[in-house]
Amino acid sequence: MTTKTIAKTSVIGARVPKPDAPDKALGKTRYINDMELPMMLFGKILHAGRPHAKILSIDTSAAKALPGVHVVLTGEDCPTFKFGMARDNVPLKTGKVLCVRDEVAAVAAETEEICDKALSLIKVEYEDLPGVFDPEDALKPGAPIVHEGKEDNKNLHYLFEKGDMAAAEADSDVILDNVFNVHYVTHCCMGTSAVLADYSVDGKLTIYSQTQYPYNFKMDLAPALGVHPGDIRVIQPPVGGAFGSKLDVYPFEPVCALLAKAARRPVKLVFDREEEFINAPTRQPVKIHIRLGAKKDGTLTFRNVDNLLNNGAYTSWGPTVPFVMMRTFSSHFRVPTVRVESQSVYTNNPYAGSFRGYGNVQATYATSIQMDMMAEALGMDLLTLSLKNAQASGEVTPQGSVLNECGFAECLQIAADKTDFTAKAVKYAAERDKPGRIKRGIGMASSIHNAGGAKIHKSDGCGTILKLDDYARATVITGASEIGQGIDAVIAQVIAEELGIPLSDVTIANDDSAIAPWDVGVHASRTTFIAGNGARRAARKAREQILNAAAGYANVEAGALDLRQGWVVQDADGATVMPLDRLLRKMHFQKDAELVMVTDYYEPPSEEEAEGHVGDMSAAYSHAVHVAEIEVDTETGEIRVEKITSAQDVGRIVNEMGLEAQIEGGIIMGLGYAISEQLQIVEGQVKNPSFRDYKVITSPEVPELDLHFVETMSQTGPMGAKGIAELPTIVIAPAIANALYNATGVRIFDPPMTPEKVARAIFEKDAMMDAAE
Amino acid sequence: MAQTISETGISEYAAPTTLAEAAELMADGNATVVAGGTDLMVQIEAGRRHYKDRLVNIRRVADMRGIEIVDDTVRIGALTTVTEVLNDPLLAEVAPVLRETANRFASSQLRNMATLGGNICNASPAGDTIIPMLLLDAEVALTSWQGAPRSRYVPLADFFTGPSKTVIEDTEILSEIRFAKPKPGFEARFRKSGPRPALEISTVSAGFGAVVGADGLSGVRIALGAVAPVPYRARKTEAFLEGKALSAEVVEEAAGIAAGEVTPIDDVRSTAWYRTHLVRIFVRRLLNPETA
Amino acid sequence: MTLKVDIAFTLNGRPVATTVPADMSVLTMLRDHLRMTGTKYACGEGECGACTIIVDGQSVNSCLMYAADCEGRSLTTIEGLRNADGLDPMQDAFVRHGAIQCGFCMPGMIMQAKYLTDTDKNLTYEGMKRGLEGNVCRCTGYKKVFDAVAEIAGIES
Repeated sequence: MTTKTIAKTSVIGARVPKPDAPDKALGKTRYINDMELPMMLFGKILHAGRPHAKILSIDTSAAKALPGVHVVLTGEDCPTFKFGMARDNVPLKTGKVLCVRDEVAAVAAETEEICDKALSLIKVEYEDLPGVFDPEDALKPGAPIVHEGKEDNKNLHYLFEKGDMAAAEADSDVILDNVFNVHYVTHCCMGTSAVLADYSVDGKLTIYSQTQYPYNFKMDLAPALGVHPGDIRVIQPPVGGAFGSKLDVYPFEPVCALLAKAARRPVKLVFDREEEFINAPTRQPVKIHIRLGAKKDGTLTFRNVDNLLNNGAYTSWGPTVPFVMMRTFSSHFRVPTVRVESQSVYTNNPYAGSFRGYGNVQATYATSIQMDMMAEALGMDLLTLSLKNAQASGEVTPQGSVLNECGFAECLQIAADKTDFTAKAVKYAAERDKPGRIKRGIGMASSIHNAGGAKIHKSDGCGTILKLDDYARATVITGASEIGQGIDAVIAQVIAEELGIPLSDVTIANDDSAIAPWDVGVHASRTTFIAGNGARRAARKAREQILNAAAGYANVEAGALDLRQGWVVQDADGATVMPLDRLLRKMHFQKDAELVMVTDYYEPPSEEEAEGHVGDMSAAYSHAVHVAEIEVDTETGEIRVEKITSAQDVGRIVNEMGLEAQIEGGIIMGLGYAISEQLQIVEGQVKNPSFRDYKVITSPEVPELDLHFVETMSQTGPMGAKGIAELPTIVIAPAIANALYNATGVRIFDPPMTPEKVARAIFEKDAMMDAAE
Repeated sequence: MAQTISETGISEYAAPTTLAEAAELMADGNATVVAGGTDLMVQIEAGRRHYKDRLVNIRRVADMRGIEIVDDTVRIGALTTVTEVLNDPLLAEVAPVLRETANRFASSQLRNMATLGGNICNASPAGDTIIPMLLLDAEVALTSWQGAPRSRYVPLADFFTGPSKTVIEDTEILSEIRFAKPKPGFEARFRKSGPRPALEISTVSAGFGAVVGADGLSGVRIALGAVAPVPYRARKTEAFLEGKALSAEVVEEAAGIAAGEVTPIDDVRSTAWYRTHLVRIFVRRLLNPETA
Repeated sequence: MTLKVDIAFTLNGRPVATTVPADMSVLTMLRDHLRMTGTKYACGEGECGACTIIVDGQSVNSCLMYAADCEGRSLTTIEGLRNADGLDPMQDAFVRHGAIQCGFCMPGMIMQAKYLTDTDKNLTYEGMKRGLEGNVCRCTGYKKVFDAVAEIAGIES
């Protein structure tokens, strides 16, 4: 056999297309919305459509009699086990409805049309009750009570305190005191909510779900069904978006399962778009009352924050966002003294779940705008103020987060240098009061976020099973869910890198809870970090097994060997030793047969939060800085975003193309939050449940994007990588808000910065100025 | 899929190819007309409209297509799509404001499907394509069967009676739009609220047309969308501007009159305040394009 | 019960003859009746473009078009794009540029992109951005879609 030499190459940092992209481009990929099982029925839900009422009676007789209808269920037919974070929700409601979403009845029928007809035949008699919609109203004595047993309407409460606040206030030369009211937005996944439930004859449930946390999903779903979690198999077909909306059990899923059980046939339930706007969980709105102190040399002294959360009628992840907001308030810049108190209050509104950025979008809107205000109050430029208070590697925040491999200062410098930030800010501010209706503005914002998960469960780990077949093709069975974010490509890169095989020879399997090992789910920017590390550790075990076997056959030390491009080679010079597939077959078809099959469970080195909310609860943290350059038509109030420059600490670039894709998508999603998206909920009713009136960003509105990646090489991340996907959504809105101020002298404390809001604010400012003259 | 196809009661379907056929199919008043389908499908799904017994697909009626000038009258078949308006060289020459408006209409796909006739019949108070046609003093031909197809002509300004309400009878089809070829010196402009360039039900849309002469404006038309129950001719503003030369003062006063004569509402898209604010701004910009 | 209408048309180059309710949309016909699930429902009212197909050379929102109006016409859906060698160049460009994440909006996006580049040989970057304004994407921020389409259209970014 002739030898050749193979040089060492790397796929880390390469631009890798997603393995599932070709099928998606072909329209071949089957989402739940496209799936069909034999004998499948369709399910639909009758929502209350009113925010607070007693259910006096439900007459389903006409619906049941409709030809083609198999099952009609109401709350009377269902187990009364409560599910949800606060165990305050049931699949089908009895007694009272508490918000417009409330699921009052459900049908399973042979076609969706028959389902719709059946729903229209269900007669529900309600007695409307006075509703309460504003958390401040809900706290007043005599307010309508949303949940029995919670007469004060108070739900989750969080408090974090560090340091002597009174002393810090006294020590400050400037104190800012502001209230920010951040709004309801919704995920607008292009694939609407869908679920397909199928019971086996022995009562075990297979559920095809869009969930992004399949294992805990089983545990959380079980009480709603009265089924043992071990008897639930979760299969995750490809999803049409998630962004955090699938991190909890929502009633439509157990309702569908209950229909399937009663019908003894598979049932698929899909929301139409209007239903999706009304019933999918929103981002958590918050009223943030925040005080920021600083000394005249720019040293920040304290943050003192009170958050009031509109809980809505039930509790999903939304009211838990203070958990992350606390981290922003205590750790975004060096702030020695901190107090953050958060209270969620039940109302008869639709409720919030988790959404990309999870509380940090809300908190950073406040902290980054206040930094801009503080810079002005102190007569300092924002960059100098920011650099003065930006933490360095190794600093520990008041909550105990250890900021290893911290890239904050570098990100600030890059973003400012690339945009000539300070000079432009001065120039544009000087133009503000001059004539001319188009004004230009530049604004900067930043934030910190978890980049290695967030230890919010007993385990933050991920299981990986790796096997190689006789042809050196690898299969990775990972607990990590692929929700479009590209973890499939990243894991393939990690395996390909360690085992020296082509990317196309790696298959990722991760969609069946009966087969794949546990993972806590996609959230907190953890997947690259934790699933990536798990994959790397598994790959290293496989590599060790392979090289030891090769060493035996080749009579060299295992340490002298490497795996490159499908070959076992000498590490020193790349001289080929034997093909990897031949080695694997030798290992397999010998007397003491060996297959390469390894497992790994990776638990990141983070801590659960201890009492008092202290703990290093992510395995890594990272920062991003955005500079937004905008043009404002001061008459119409229209903001045209010209350019966004981003500098983000990514740890290490693994899939450069995937990284860009996530950041670009995150920025545009955050841009919608900033200037155009608002789910208008009035008296508990969603007023704009359509794309016509809920304005997501469309293609002509996309600004120029200039992305910069800082590689701080995390010691704990896979190949140094950190999680990245939430920061871009978190930082953009205050950057725009600060640019708006730079251009016009107007600040918007209650986003979105719609043309109308901006026009009005400018109009009122001008009127005040005229009155003053 | 969420399309509701239930007991719609459609018992007849026809796809006529001539206007005579189509008109005859309408004669008993028991027909729902569909052309591009961009409005009908949505209205049915939302329960705002219901099918009559007969669904008449007029999209294939050849004599409702085409754009031509006959004796100084521009004639546009009602089935002309917005894309066709956007691309038509004749219209680009004689009435470029139509092309300007078409370029701000919805999306590429909807421009390919939506017809001028359909847009007019849908009678949205914000109806974008209606605004420029008001500036052009367009008339519409309403054709019905009277032994043969016969048309009556209604000025577009008189066509609308309320939100989604028009003078068209159940037995009639809007077959053609026509307007006199604009006089030399005629200028017309269109503005619409943003920030999206097109896919936007206008918060406010506005159009201005006039013959700009040496001593002043004549034949002034100001049309406003989404600020009244119907696409609105701002007649007080027009009367004020008629015969005047445009100066900064005249422009400002006109903008003020326009803002004063509209009756916008608060709704999910906007408020009366902002709509009035935009009317003033748009009229100012339409009259003084250098400031735009 | 709604009247059923017989229709015959060309679908992805092949003749189809079928019977549909008079008020069925093309989208429902494709997905439920013909079992071609590549074209997606995402709003049903022409506001998002996920249902985009090409009819007689023009892109349309299939959720708004009446199936009965397919008679005698030529339809192309995402399933009809691939060629004998594999992916259509537009599909391939989307894959190579990383323009696909969850993928749900992509059949409609790719069809609209194909329509733009087939019908406008002088497509500019701004024209491309405008041309895609009826296609909503929540994952990508559109940037890599622009990269893919710009490559096919021969536009310098």
